[in-house]
Amino acid sequence: MNESSNMATRNSRDKILGTVHGNQPAPRELPPLPEGTPIAPADLAPTFITALEAIGAAAYIVSGFDRIATMLHEQFPGARRIVTGCPQLNAFAEAAAAAKGLDPHMLENVELAILPAHFGVAENGACWITESLMVERALPFIAQHLVLVIPHSSIVPNMHAAYDRIAVLEAEAPANTYGFSTFIAGPSKTADIEQSLVLGAHGPLSLTVFLLDENLSDAGYF
Amino acid sequence: MSGSNHKDHAALAAEFNKDEPRVDWHDETLWWVRQKRDKAAARVPEWELLRDTASHIKENVLSNLSGYLRQFEEEATRNGITVHWAADAKEHNEIVLSILSRHKIDKMVKSKSMLTEECHLNEFLHEKGIDVVDTDLGERVVQLAGEPPSHIVLPCIHLKKQEIGEIFHEHLGTPKGNADPQFLTHAARLHLREKFLTRRVALTGVNFAVAETGEFVVCTNEGNADMGAHLADVHIASMGIEKLIPQRRHLGVFLRLLTRSATGQPITTYSSHFRRPRQGQEMHIVLVDNGRSVHLGKKDFRNSLKCIRCAACFNTCPVYRRSGGHSYHTAVAGPIGSILSPNLDMKKYADLPFASTLCGSCSNVCPVKIDIHEQLYKWRQVIVQEGYATAGKTAAMKTMNWVLSHPGVYHTAGKTGRWFMLNVPFTVKNGFNTWYRQRDMPTPPKQSFGDWYKKNKK
Amino acid sequence: MRVGLFIPCYIDQFYPQVGVATLELLEKLGCEVVYPPEQTCCGQPMANSGFEHLTKGCNDLFIKNFEEFDYIVAPSGSCVLHIKEHIHDPAGQKPPEAASSDRTDISALPEFANFPTANSRHNIPGKIFELVEFLTDVLKVDKLEASFPYKVGLHQSCHGQRGLKLAQMSELMAPPFSKPQHLLNLVKGLELVELDRKDECCGFGGTFCVFEEAISVKMGKDRVADHIRHDAEVITASDMSCLMHLEGILRRQQSKVQIKHIAEILNARL
Repeated sequence: MNESSNMATRNSRDKILGTVHGNQPAPRELPPLPEGTPIAPADLAPTFITALEAIGAAAYIVSGFDRIATMLHEQFPGARRIVTGCPQLNAFAEAAAAAKGLDPHMLENVELAILPAHFGVAENGACWITESLMVERALPFIAQHLVLVIPHSSIVPNMHAAYDRIAVLEAEAPANTYGFSTFIAGPSKTADIEQSLVLGAHGPLSLTVFLLDENLSDAGYF
Repeated sequence: MSGSNHKDHAALAAEFNKDEPRVDWHDETLWWVRQKRDKAAARVPEWELLRDTASHIKENVLSNLSGYLRQFEEEATRNGITVHWAADAKEHNEIVLSILSRHKIDKMVKSKSMLTEECHLNEFLHEKGIDVVDTDLGERVVQLAGEPPSHIVLPCIHLKKQEIGEIFHEHLGTPKGNADPQFLTHAARLHLREKFLTRRVALTGVNFAVAETGEFVVCTNEGNADMGAHLADVHIASMGIEKLIPQRRHLGVFLRLLTRSATGQPITTYSSHFRRPRQGQEMHIVLVDNGRSVHLGKKDFRNSLKCIRCAACFNTCPVYRRSGGHSYHTAVAGPIGSILSPNLDMKKYADLPFASTLCGSCSNVCPVKIDIHEQLYKWRQVIVQEGYATAGKTAAMKTMNWVLSHPGVYHTAGKTGRWFMLNVPFTVKNGFNTWYRQRDMPTPPKQSFGDWYKKNKK
Repeated sequence: MRVGLFIPCYIDQFYPQVGVATLELLEKLGCEVVYPPEQTCCGQPMANSGFEHLTKGCNDLFIKNFEEFDYIVAPSGSCVLHIKEHIHDPAGQKPPEAASSDRTDISALPEFANFPTANSRHNIPGKIFELVEFLTDVLKVDKLEASFPYKVGLHQSCHGQRGLKLAQMSELMAPPFSKPQHLLNLVKGLELVELDRKDECCGFGGTFCVFEEAISVKMGKDRVADHIRHDAEVITASDMSCLMHLEGILRRQQSKVQIKHIAEILNARL
C-alpha cells in the first residue's frame, strides 16, 4: 500500500480504537463453556452417520483402503480424473505429489477427490480437514465429487469436543497448525430457490465419508 | 434509497399487502424456517444454556473490544494477513478499490457479506468500472434482478421460482418457463464456476474473527466463499469490528447456535477457517467501524452489537413475514435491522422501530439474547425526543395525555365519544377512520364500567 | 385482603361487562374489591408510541388511586406489564452521573426527573397482578363454579405471555405450562381447540393498529382464520385489546364466532 493510504488507515485505526476504548461498557467476565450432552462411545459413529445421511451424504464403515478402492470403482466408474491425498490409494488415483504445488486452476477437471480428514463430529456429521491433508486448498471444493476418510474411532460428540481436539492436534504436530482448515458437513447445497433443497451448489455435488475400522472383518461394511 | 423522499415501512408494507396470496406464501415460507429452527433447537438439550453462554461471551467482547481488536490485529499480521482499518463505509470501499487498482484488476467475485451491502460496495465499484459478481446463489439472483436482498440469510426469499426462472432465462439463457430449482441451481453452478476460474480477486464476509489466533471463519452451504478465495490471487475479507470472539474454542458455542438459529440445520456445509494466505496469495482483512464504535457507547442499545446475523428474528417476526424485507428500505431488515439502522441514520430510519407490535418473539429466538423488543421500545422514546415524530402524532399524544391525566375530562370524553358512536355513527364509520377500513367498530355500551359501579356498588 | 380493581380505559368505555365479570369473580373467590372511581389509564398507548415522557400525569394518578391496596388486579396483561415496568422512574435509584455524551440515554432527560422512584413506599410493581396470574399464583384457584359448554380458542396475548410469563413461549426450549389454560380447564363443558400457531401476535400493538393498518389487519385475519380452521366458536384471551381487534375483523367478515374475555368465561354460569 502506498504512503498516504497507510497514513489514512493508521489515523482511522487510532480513531476507532480510541472511540471503542472510551465507549466500552464495564468489564464482563468470560463464562465457563458447556461440555454438551454426552454421547456413549458406542453411539458416536451411529449418531455421526445419521447426521451425515440427513444432510445428503453417504457414509460407510470399512475395514481398509482396499474396500474403499473397490467401492469407489463401483460408484464412480466413468471418472476420468481422480486425485487422492491418501497414499494408500496411489494405485487407484493420481497421487497428491503430482497435484501438489500446481496452480489450483489446474484442478478444474478433477471429478473425484479422495482425502483423509482428522476426525468427525457426531452431532452434525462434520469432518475436520486441515490444509496439510487437502493437497491444495481448492481441491475439496473444486472437485465434482468428494470422498473423505476418517478413523472410525476419531469421532467426537460435539463442537466443544471438536475444538478441544483441534488444540490437541496442533500441539501434536506443527503441520496441523493450519493456514487454512475447514469443517465439511455434506455435499454443497442451497435452498435459496423457494426453500427447495438442492444438493450441489458450487462445491462438490456429493460427499461420501468412509469410517476406517481396522478391527472389522472384510465383509463388514455399512 | 434516497434521503427523505422514500416511502416509510407502513406505506411499503401496505403495497406489499395488496397481493394477499403472495403475502400468505411469503409468511408461510418463513414460518416454516422458524419451525425448522425450533426442531433443531429442541434436539440440543442444553440450548438455553448455549444461548446464555454466547450472550455472555459477546458481552465480554464488547467490554474489552479495543483489547481484542489489538490482539486480533497483532495475530493476523503475524500470520501474514494485511489488516486495514476503515472508519466508515466510504473508507472501506476505497480500501477495496485501492487493492484492486494496485493489482490492476477490474473483475472480482464476492460471497455473502451484509457489511458490503451496508457500505453499498457494489454500486461504488460499479461506478469505478469494476465488475463484481455476487456468487451466493440468492445474491446472484437479486443482483441480476437489480434488487437488494430482502433477507440476510435467504436473499431472494421474496421471489418465486417462476420469477427466478425468468431472470435466469433473461441473463443466463436458460429455457423460458423452466422453474425447476434443481435445473436452475445447476445452471448457476456452471455460470458461476466460470467466474471463479477466471477472476483473480475474491471478497468474502466474516462470520467470526478470533482474537487469540488471528484467524477468521466464513460459513457457507454453497462453497462459494471457498471457491472464490482458493482460486484468487487476492482474498479480501470485510468485517464489522464487532464480529470478534476472544478464543478459538468459543467457536464451538457459536457454530452450534448459528445455523440452527438461521435455517434449522446443525451446521453449514463449510465452516472455513482462514489463518494464513495461500502460498503466493495476498490476504487482506478490512476492519470496519461505520458507526459501531459510537453505538458501543449507547448503554440502552449497545447490545445489538452482539448480533451474529443469523436472521432468526426475521423468521419469527409476524410483521417481517408479512412486510417483506424491502419494506424496511435498509441493508439489514427485520427486528435487528430496526434497532441497528437508526444508529446509522435516525431520520431515515425513524419509522423502523415502530414497525412492530413489541410481541417479544424476536428476543426469545436470538441466539445471543439481544433484548430486541426492549430496544425497539427505547428507540421510540429517543426518536420522539429527537423530533422525528409527525406533528399529527405528537398532537394526538398530547391530547391523549391531557385527557387521561384528568379523570373528569376522561369521563366526559368517554361519554361523549360513546354518544356520538351510537347516535351519529358516521363520525367514526367513515373513510378517514383508519381502524374502520377493514374492521368494524366495537358497539358502544350505554354505560361505562365506572357508571355501572356507581349505580350498583357504591 | 383488599383488592384495588384497575379497569383499563377501553374496557371501562367499551366492554364494561368484562369489568363486571372481573369484579364478580374476585368477590366470589373471597376478595374485598374496591374500584377507585378516579382511575383513567395506565399510560401505555402514549409510552409505546414513544411518548413515555408524557405519562407522568397517568403515573401519579395511578399511584394516588391504588397505593393503599394489598393487591391491584386488572383484566389486562399489557396494562399490568406496563405498570410493572414503567411506573417507577426509568433512571431508577442510580446516583446522578456526570453528563454523558450518550444522547440516547433518555433516563437522563429532565421530564423523567420527577417520576415516581422504584423505592417509593408504594411498591406497586410488587403487588399488581393480571387477573389470571392473580387467580393461579395468589388465590391458587383449583376449582371454579363455572360452566361454558363451547369450543374455545385461546389467544395468547403477547405481553401477558412473554412479559408476565402467563404461559410458556413456543420459542424457548423449556417445559410447557399455561396459567390461562389451567383455569379454562376448570370450566365445565369447555373444549379448548388446538391452533396451528399457538402464540403468534394478533397485530393490535397499540397505535400500531392504525399506523401500520395493513399489517395489523393481515395479522388479525390470520389469527382469526387459525381459530376458525379449528372450529372455535368463541375466542378468548386475557387482553381485551387483542379481542377488540379480532372482533372488529370477525364482525366485518360477518362471522358467527364470538369473543369473550377470559374473566367472562371464568365467571360464566349456565
